[in-house]
Amino acid sequence: MTIDKNIDGTKLEILLEGRLDTATAPLLEAELKESLSGITELVFDFAKLEYISSAGLRILLASQKMMNKQGSMALKNVNEAIEEIFEITGFSDIVTIL
Amino acid sequence: MITIKHLKKEYPNVTPLKDVNAHINKGDVISIIGPSGTGKSTLIRCINMLEEPTSGEIIVDGENLTDGGCDINKVRQKMGMVFQSFNLFNHMTVIENLMAAQMDLRGKSKQEAYDRGMELLRAIGLSEKALNYPRQLSGGQKQRAAIARTLAMDPEIILFDEPTSALDPAMTGEVESVIKGLAKKGLTMLIVTHDMRFAREVSNRVFYMDQGGIYEDGTPKQIFEKPEKELTRKFISRNFSHEVEIHSHDFDFLGMVTELEKFGQSHYLSRRTLNHMQSAFEEMCIQSIMPHLEDEFNMKIILSCLAAKDQVEMEISYSGKSFNPMDSEDELAMAILKSVTEKIEYRDLIKEGKSEDESYTNIIHLTIK
Repeated sequence: MTIDKNIDGTKLEILLEGRLDTATAPLLEAELKESLSGITELVFDFAKLEYISSAGLRILLASQKMMNKQGSMALKNVNEAIEEIFEITGFSDIVTIL
Repeated sequence: MITIKHLKKEYPNVTPLKDVNAHINKGDVISIIGPSGTGKSTLIRCINMLEEPTSGEIIVDGENLTDGGCDINKVRQKMGMVFQSFNLFNHMTVIENLMAAQMDLRGKSKQEAYDRGMELLRAIGLSEKALNYPRQLSGGQKQRAAIARTLAMDPEIILFDEPTSALDPAMTGEVESVIKGLAKKGLTMLIVTHDMRFAREVSNRVFYMDQGGIYEDGTPKQIFEKPEKELTRKFISRNFSHEVEIHSHDFDFLGMVTELEKFGQSHYLSRRTLNHMQSAFEEMCIQSIMPHLEDEFNMKIILSCLAAKDQVEMEISYSGKSFNPMDSEDELAMAILKSVTEKIEYRDLIKEGKSEDESYTNIIHLTIK
């Protein structure tokens, strides 16, 4: 997985490419730990994300909790396969999908 | 539209076609399947006379191709052929590839050939590549361009010889969807393929070739679900399996993911089934079972699938105390597992009398959706 980020003031956009799974979730966790301070608007762009597992969902959940305190979080360009995982895990009710 | 009678093709050492008989109707989309060496490609190459039959008759719209007086080139103009290896002219741009035969064989003007070529390229999403050379295209784009070139001749029949076999698995989809589009338009097509999922989706008839002829001819439903003859049944119900082992928490996760991916691709599983298999592996083995295992353990995963079905079975055996992973409190993993499987069955081998020291004491069997 590759992680690309764009910071615009207090808005952070994170572009994920590849698989967010057991092996790569810790990378995203570390990245968020480093870059979330002072951010009020967090957007994940999933256009190039192909696969997500429960390990990845946990990171998103943690970051949603964090952003609830300091601003907002949203996901965009979610593909069908990942949307399916969001539906069955009840994630679609928790996160904002643009 | 095409009638084949007692077609025989003999080579010095081998006779791939002994006695082929078939009638192909206008609008038929026929997938030709069967073991290697059963003359599938030879048959379609005989139909457009790229190979000369040893004996027998091929009649296309009343014209007997095997009759010496027949104008083969005229009949050939009704037929297009798409090859496994694209066969584009590499020294010409994509649009030139589409224009050449229209001008040489159909007598069209340069402008007419260009307009028709661009129209076809737009239809398959390649118009921006018109001025590129074949080497600048991906495999999938080359094959789409080759199909467009065939269409530029307005054929009534298209013969496909393993159109996706030379492509990277990620690119077969784009070519398949172009072929499906043509099927909807009512073109008559014969497609030699090893991809039974595609055969099932695209065709209204399937020829299973074996023993020198068309051994069974039926609808996809008949051939893939209820074949009437023995060899077809054997071919369809071939079972493929693959075994992998894991012995430590530091195993090569990426390597394993790649191995699952390869297994799925080499057996033509759909992207969806492949994703479900990956999810099942990760949520079951990594998230649910492995956290309960000792530092060193035995885990064996057997993947299996049937030749003609887009479905996988996953059997996971592991060591240690009795532990049913479905009792796990990991709600996320459980929710994903339930949605990607049809059935999950756990067997406690210790309860069945095995000792705790044996290599495998638990088995969980998943039927992936």
